[in-house]
Amino acid sequence: MEDKPLDTHESLQVISSMIAKAKDSHHDTGIVSILWGTVIGLCSLATWSQIQFDYKLPFDIWVLTFLAVIPTVILSVKENKQRKVKTYDQTAMDAVWICFGVGIFLVVHANNHVFQMVGELKSIVEAAGEPRPAQSFLEYYSAYMLVLYGIPTIVTASIKNFKPMWVGGIICWISALVVPYTNIKVDMLLMALSAITAWFIPGIILYRRAKARRKAAHV
Amino acid sequence: MFKDLDPILHSQLRLAVMSLLITVKEAEFTFLKEKTNATAGNLSVQINKLKEAGYIEVKKQFKDNYPQTLCNITAAGMEAFNKYVRDLQSYLQTGTT
Repeated sequence: MEDKPLDTHESLQVISSMIAKAKDSHHDTGIVSILWGTVIGLCSLATWSQIQFDYKLPFDIWVLTFLAVIPTVILSVKENKQRKVKTYDQTAMDAVWICFGVGIFLVVHANNHVFQMVGELKSIVEAAGEPRPAQSFLEYYSAYMLVLYGIPTIVTASIKNFKPMWVGGIICWISALVVPYTNIKVDMLLMALSAITAWFIPGIILYRRAKARRKAAHV
Repeated sequence: MFKDLDPILHSQLRLAVMSLLITVKEAEFTFLKEKTNATAGNLSVQINKLKEAGYIEVKKQFKDNYPQTLCNITAAGMEAFNKYVRDLQSYLQTGTT
Protein backbone atom coordinates (compact mmCIF):
# COMPACT_ATOMS: atom_id res chain seq x y z
CA MET A 1 0.00 0.00 0.00
CA GLU A 2 1.28 3.43 -0.92
CA ASP A 3 0.72 7.07 -0.10
CA LYS A 4 -1.35 7.80 -3.20
CA PRO A 5 -4.49 9.93 -3.60
CA LEU A 6 -7.75 8.08 -4.19
CA ASP A 7 -11.06 8.50 -5.91
CA THR A 8 -14.23 8.11 -3.82
CA HIS A 9 -14.83 4.46 -4.77
CA GLU A 10 -11.26 3.51 -3.93
CA SER A 11 -11.62 5.33 -0.60
CA LEU A 12 -14.70 3.28 0.27
CA GLN A 13 -12.94 0.08 -0.76
CA VAL A 14 -9.97 0.88 1.48
CA ILE A 15 -12.27 1.67 4.42
CA SER A 16 -14.40 -1.46 4.09
CA SER A 17 -11.46 -3.82 3.49
CA MET A 18 -9.50 -2.45 6.46
CA ILE A 19 -12.51 -2.60 8.78
CA ALA A 20 -13.05 -6.24 7.73
CA LYS A 21 -9.35 -7.02 8.32
CA ALA A 22 -9.42 -5.38 11.76
CA LYS A 23 -12.55 -7.30 12.75
CA ASP A 24 -10.84 -10.53 11.78
CA SER A 25 -7.79 -9.73 13.89
CA HIS A 26 -8.54 -11.55 17.13
CA HIS A 27 -9.71 -15.11 17.66
CA ASP A 28 -10.18 -16.95 20.90
CA THR A 29 -8.17 -20.18 21.20
CA GLY A 30 -10.91 -21.77 23.33
CA ILE A 31 -8.38 -23.27 25.78
CA VAL A 32 -9.62 -21.37 28.85
CA SER A 33 -13.24 -22.34 28.00
CA ILE A 34 -12.23 -26.01 27.71
CA LEU A 35 -10.35 -25.80 31.01
CA TRP A 36 -13.32 -24.37 32.96
CA GLY A 37 -15.87 -26.60 31.25
CA THR A 38 -13.77 -29.59 32.27
CA VAL A 39 -13.12 -28.43 35.84
CA ILE A 40 -16.73 -27.48 36.69
CA GLY A 41 -18.09 -30.52 34.84
CA LEU A 42 -15.68 -32.84 36.66
CA CYS A 43 -16.34 -31.31 40.11
CA SER A 44 -20.12 -31.54 39.61
CA LEU A 45 -19.97 -35.15 38.40
CA ALA A 46 -17.59 -36.10 41.24
CA THR A 47 -20.00 -34.56 43.78
CA TRP A 48 -22.92 -36.40 42.17
CA SER A 49 -20.97 -39.65 42.21
CA GLN A 50 -20.08 -39.27 45.93
CA ILE A 51 -23.75 -38.86 46.84
CA GLN A 52 -24.99 -41.51 44.40
CA PHE A 53 -22.49 -44.21 45.42
CA ASP A 54 -22.13 -43.09 49.02
CA TYR A 55 -18.38 -42.56 49.32
CA LYS A 56 -16.19 -39.59 50.17
CA LEU A 57 -13.08 -38.38 48.38
CA PRO A 58 -10.15 -37.61 50.73
CA PHE A 59 -10.32 -33.94 49.67
CA ASP A 60 -12.93 -31.42 48.60
CA ILE A 61 -13.10 -31.79 44.80
CA TRP A 62 -14.15 -28.14 44.42
CA VAL A 63 -10.60 -27.15 45.44
CA LEU A 64 -9.81 -27.83 41.76
CA THR A 65 -11.63 -24.61 40.86
CA PHE A 66 -9.11 -22.60 42.91
CA LEU A 67 -6.21 -24.50 41.32
CA ALA A 68 -7.65 -23.85 37.83
CA VAL A 69 -7.25 -20.10 38.44
CA ILE A 70 -3.44 -20.51 38.12
CA PRO A 71 -3.36 -21.84 34.52
CA THR A 72 -6.16 -19.40 33.62
CA VAL A 73 -4.04 -16.43 34.72
CA ILE A 74 -0.92 -17.85 32.97
CA LEU A 75 -2.83 -18.49 29.71
CA SER A 76 -4.53 -15.08 29.80
CA VAL A 77 -1.23 -13.24 30.39
CA LYS A 78 0.41 -15.26 27.58
CA GLU A 79 -2.47 -14.55 25.16
CA ASN A 80 -2.43 -10.85 26.09
CA LYS A 81 1.30 -10.67 25.40
CA GLN A 82 0.82 -12.25 21.98
CA ARG A 83 -1.96 -9.84 21.02
CA LYS A 84 -0.89 -7.17 18.59
CA VAL A 85 -4.20 -5.43 18.82
CA LYS A 86 -6.68 -4.63 21.55
CA THR A 87 -10.26 -4.68 20.29
CA TYR A 88 -13.28 -3.11 21.99
CA ASP A 89 -15.03 -6.52 21.99
CA GLN A 90 -12.13 -8.22 23.71
CA THR A 91 -11.80 -5.41 26.27
CA ALA A 92 -15.52 -5.71 27.11
CA MET A 93 -15.30 -9.51 27.38
CA ASP A 94 -12.18 -9.37 29.55
CA ALA A 95 -14.02 -7.02 31.93
CA VAL A 96 -17.12 -9.26 32.01
CA TRP A 97 -15.10 -12.41 32.79
CA ILE A 98 -13.01 -10.66 35.45
CA CYS A 99 -16.24 -9.42 37.08
CA PHE A 100 -17.60 -12.98 36.84
CA GLY A 101 -14.51 -14.39 38.58
CA VAL A 102 -14.71 -11.82 41.36
CA GLY A 103 -18.49 -12.34 41.59
CA ILE A 104 -18.09 -16.11 41.98
CA PHE A 105 -15.46 -15.58 44.69
CA LEU A 106 -17.76 -13.19 46.59
CA VAL A 107 -20.78 -15.51 46.31
CA VAL A 108 -18.71 -18.51 47.47
CA HIS A 109 -17.33 -16.43 50.33
CA ALA A 110 -20.79 -15.26 51.42
CA ASN A 111 -22.33 -18.72 51.01
CA ASN A 112 -19.56 -20.41 52.97
CA HIS A 113 -20.29 -18.04 55.84
CA VAL A 114 -24.00 -18.86 55.67
CA PHE A 115 -23.16 -22.57 55.30
CA GLN A 116 -21.08 -22.39 58.47
CA MET A 117 -24.01 -20.84 60.32
CA VAL A 118 -26.34 -23.51 58.92
CA GLY A 119 -23.83 -26.14 60.10
CA GLU A 120 -23.95 -24.69 63.61
CA LEU A 121 -27.71 -24.82 63.54
CA LYS A 122 -27.67 -28.37 62.13
CA SER A 123 -27.97 -30.16 65.45
CA ILE A 124 -30.79 -27.87 66.59
CA VAL A 125 -32.67 -28.34 63.29
CA GLU A 126 -32.07 -32.11 63.29
CA ALA A 127 -33.38 -32.30 66.84
CA ALA A 128 -36.50 -30.56 65.60
CA GLY A 129 -36.92 -33.37 63.05
CA GLU A 130 -35.92 -31.49 59.85
CA PRO A 131 -33.92 -33.73 57.50
CA ARG A 132 -30.39 -32.88 56.28
CA PRO A 133 -30.50 -29.05 56.63
CA ALA A 134 -26.95 -28.50 55.36
CA GLN A 135 -27.62 -30.42 52.16
CA SER A 136 -30.91 -28.57 51.66
CA PHE A 137 -28.94 -25.35 51.73
CA LEU A 138 -26.54 -26.69 49.08
CA GLU A 139 -29.48 -27.33 46.77
CA TYR A 140 -30.20 -23.59 46.67
CA TYR A 141 -26.51 -22.73 46.35
CA SER A 142 -26.44 -24.30 42.85
CA ALA A 143 -29.09 -21.88 41.58
CA TYR A 144 -26.98 -18.81 42.44
CA MET A 145 -23.93 -20.32 40.76
CA LEU A 146 -25.87 -21.23 37.61
CA VAL A 147 -27.30 -17.71 37.34
CA LEU A 148 -23.73 -16.37 37.52
CA TYR A 149 -22.44 -18.95 34.98
CA GLY A 150 -25.09 -17.82 32.52
CA ILE A 151 -24.33 -14.08 32.63
CA PRO A 152 -20.80 -13.90 31.09
CA THR A 153 -21.61 -16.81 28.79
CA ILE A 154 -24.59 -15.01 27.27
CA VAL A 155 -22.72 -11.67 27.11
CA THR A 156 -19.85 -13.40 25.26
CA ALA A 157 -22.27 -15.21 22.95
CA SER A 158 -23.97 -11.91 22.18
CA ILE A 159 -20.74 -9.95 21.53
CA LYS A 160 -19.22 -12.74 19.42
CA ASN A 161 -22.49 -13.77 17.85
CA PHE A 162 -21.55 -17.34 18.80
CA LYS A 163 -24.59 -19.66 18.85
CA PRO A 164 -23.10 -22.59 20.85
CA MET A 165 -22.48 -20.25 23.80
CA TRP A 166 -26.03 -18.90 23.55
CA VAL A 167 -27.31 -22.45 23.91
CA GLY A 168 -24.99 -23.11 26.86
CA GLY A 169 -25.90 -19.83 28.59
CA ILE A 170 -29.61 -20.52 28.24
CA ILE A 171 -29.11 -24.06 29.61
CA CYS A 172 -27.38 -22.46 32.65
CA TRP A 173 -30.39 -20.22 33.29
CA ILE A 174 -32.98 -22.95 32.69
CA SER A 175 -31.04 -25.12 35.13
CA ALA A 176 -31.01 -22.23 37.64
CA LEU A 177 -34.79 -22.13 37.32
CA VAL A 178 -35.13 -25.88 37.86
CA VAL A 179 -32.61 -26.65 40.64
CA PRO A 180 -34.59 -25.14 43.56
CA TYR A 181 -37.19 -27.89 42.90
CA THR A 182 -34.80 -30.82 42.44
CA ASN A 183 -32.56 -32.75 44.82
CA ILE A 184 -28.81 -32.20 44.99
CA LYS A 185 -28.02 -35.18 42.73
CA VAL A 186 -30.06 -33.67 39.89
CA ASP A 187 -28.58 -30.24 40.70
CA MET A 188 -25.06 -31.59 40.21
CA LEU A 189 -25.99 -33.28 36.93
CA LEU A 190 -27.55 -30.03 35.70
CA MET A 191 -24.45 -28.12 36.83
CA ALA A 192 -22.24 -30.54 34.84
CA LEU A 193 -24.53 -30.25 31.81
CA SER A 194 -24.40 -26.45 32.05
CA ALA A 195 -20.59 -26.35 32.29
CA ILE A 196 -20.21 -28.75 29.38
CA THR A 197 -22.65 -26.89 27.10
CA ALA A 198 -21.67 -23.35 28.13
CA TRP A 199 -17.89 -23.73 28.07
CA PHE A 200 -16.53 -27.16 27.16
CA ILE A 201 -18.31 -27.66 23.81
CA PRO A 202 -17.96 -24.01 22.65
CA GLY A 203 -14.31 -24.19 23.73
CA ILE A 204 -13.74 -27.29 21.58
CA ILE A 205 -15.40 -25.53 18.60
CA LEU A 206 -13.23 -22.41 19.10
CA TYR A 207 -10.10 -24.54 19.50
CA ARG A 208 -10.81 -26.44 16.27
CA ARG A 209 -11.47 -23.18 14.40
CA ALA A 210 -8.23 -21.67 15.72
CA LYS A 211 -6.32 -24.82 14.72
CA ALA A 212 -7.82 -24.76 11.21
CA ARG A 213 -6.97 -21.05 10.88
CA ARG A 214 -3.36 -21.67 11.95
CA LYS A 215 -3.12 -24.54 9.46
CA ALA A 216 -4.53 -22.39 6.64
CA ALA A 217 -2.10 -19.59 7.49
CA HIS A 218 0.86 -21.95 7.15
CA VAL A 219 -0.21 -23.43 3.81
CA MET B 1 -22.18 21.80 -3.31
CA PHE B 2 -19.13 19.56 -2.74
CA LYS B 3 -17.17 19.63 0.44
CA ASP B 4 -13.39 19.31 0.21
CA LEU B 5 -12.21 15.93 1.37
CA ASP B 6 -9.76 16.08 4.27
CA PRO B 7 -6.32 15.93 2.56
CA ILE B 8 -4.79 14.18 5.57
CA LEU B 9 -7.23 11.28 5.21
CA HIS B 10 -7.53 11.32 1.43
CA SER B 11 -4.48 9.14 0.90
CA GLN B 12 -4.51 5.37 0.57
CA LEU B 13 -2.18 4.43 3.41
CA ARG B 14 -3.30 7.06 5.92
CA LEU B 15 -6.96 6.19 5.28
CA ALA B 16 -6.14 2.49 5.71
CA VAL B 17 -4.43 3.16 9.04
CA MET B 18 -7.36 5.27 10.24
CA SER B 19 -9.88 2.62 9.12
CA LEU B 20 -8.00 -0.01 11.10
CA LEU B 21 -7.66 2.16 14.19
CA ILE B 22 -11.31 3.23 14.22
CA THR B 23 -12.30 -0.43 14.61
CA VAL B 24 -9.91 -1.31 17.45
CA LYS B 25 -9.00 0.21 20.79
CA GLU B 26 -5.25 0.05 20.28
CA ALA B 27 -2.93 -1.55 17.72
CA GLU B 28 0.76 -2.30 17.47
CA PHE B 29 2.81 -0.87 14.62
CA THR B 30 3.50 -4.44 13.44
CA PHE B 31 -0.26 -5.10 13.22
CA LEU B 32 -0.77 -1.99 11.03
CA LYS B 33 2.19 -2.99 8.86
CA GLU B 34 0.87 -6.54 8.44
CA LYS B 35 -2.67 -5.44 7.55
CA THR B 36 -1.71 -2.62 5.17
CA ASN B 37 1.22 -4.45 3.53
CA ALA B 38 3.15 -1.18 3.67
CA THR B 39 6.87 -0.84 4.20
CA ALA B 40 7.98 0.08 7.72
CA GLY B 41 9.52 3.36 6.51
CA ASN B 42 6.47 4.54 4.59
CA LEU B 43 4.09 3.51 7.36
CA SER B 44 6.19 5.32 9.92
CA VAL B 45 6.08 8.56 7.87
CA GLN B 46 2.29 8.35 7.43
CA ILE B 47 1.74 7.58 11.11
CA ASN B 48 3.76 10.67 11.99
CA LYS B 49 1.56 12.79 9.68
CA LEU B 50 -1.59 11.46 11.38
CA LYS B 51 -0.02 12.10 14.77
CA GLU B 52 0.93 15.67 13.84
CA ALA B 53 -2.67 16.27 12.69
CA GLY B 54 -3.83 15.11 16.14
CA TYR B 55 -5.78 12.19 14.65
CA ILE B 56 -3.89 9.44 16.42
CA GLU B 57 -1.78 8.98 19.53
CA VAL B 58 1.47 7.05 19.41
CA LYS B 59 2.95 5.40 22.49
CA LYS B 60 6.43 3.96 22.48
CA GLN B 61 7.38 1.44 25.13
CA PHE B 62 9.33 -1.77 25.71
CA LYS B 63 7.79 -5.23 25.66
CA ASP B 64 10.05 -8.16 26.61
CA ASN B 65 13.11 -5.96 25.99
CA TYR B 66 11.95 -5.07 22.47
CA PRO B 67 10.66 -1.63 21.46
CA GLN B 68 6.92 -1.55 20.87
CA THR B 69 4.90 1.19 19.18
CA LEU B 70 1.20 1.40 20.02
CA CYS B 71 -1.27 3.55 18.12
CA ASN B 72 -4.81 4.58 18.94
CA ILE B 73 -7.27 6.98 17.39
CA THR B 74 -8.09 10.25 19.20
CA ALA B 75 -11.50 11.93 19.54
CA ALA B 76 -10.40 14.46 16.89
CA GLY B 77 -9.38 11.57 14.62
CA MET B 78 -12.72 9.87 15.08
CA GLU B 79 -14.57 13.09 14.26
CA ALA B 80 -12.38 13.70 11.19
CA PHE B 81 -12.95 10.13 9.99
CA ASN B 82 -16.73 10.43 10.42
CA LYS B 83 -16.72 13.74 8.54
CA TYR B 84 -14.61 12.19 5.76
CA VAL B 85 -17.13 9.34 5.37
CA ARG B 86 -20.07 11.81 5.35
CA ASP B 87 -18.31 13.89 2.68
CA LEU B 88 -17.63 10.75 0.63
CA GLN B 89 -21.30 9.83 0.85
CA SER B 90 -22.34 13.26 -0.40
CA TYR B 91 -20.01 12.82 -3.40
CA LEU B 92 -21.40 9.37 -4.15
CA GLN B 93 -25.02 10.49 -3.86
CA THR B 94 -24.39 12.99 -6.66
CA GLY B 95 -22.56 10.35 -8.72
CA THR B 96 -19.32 12.29 -8.82
CA THR B 97 -15.89 10.85 -8.15
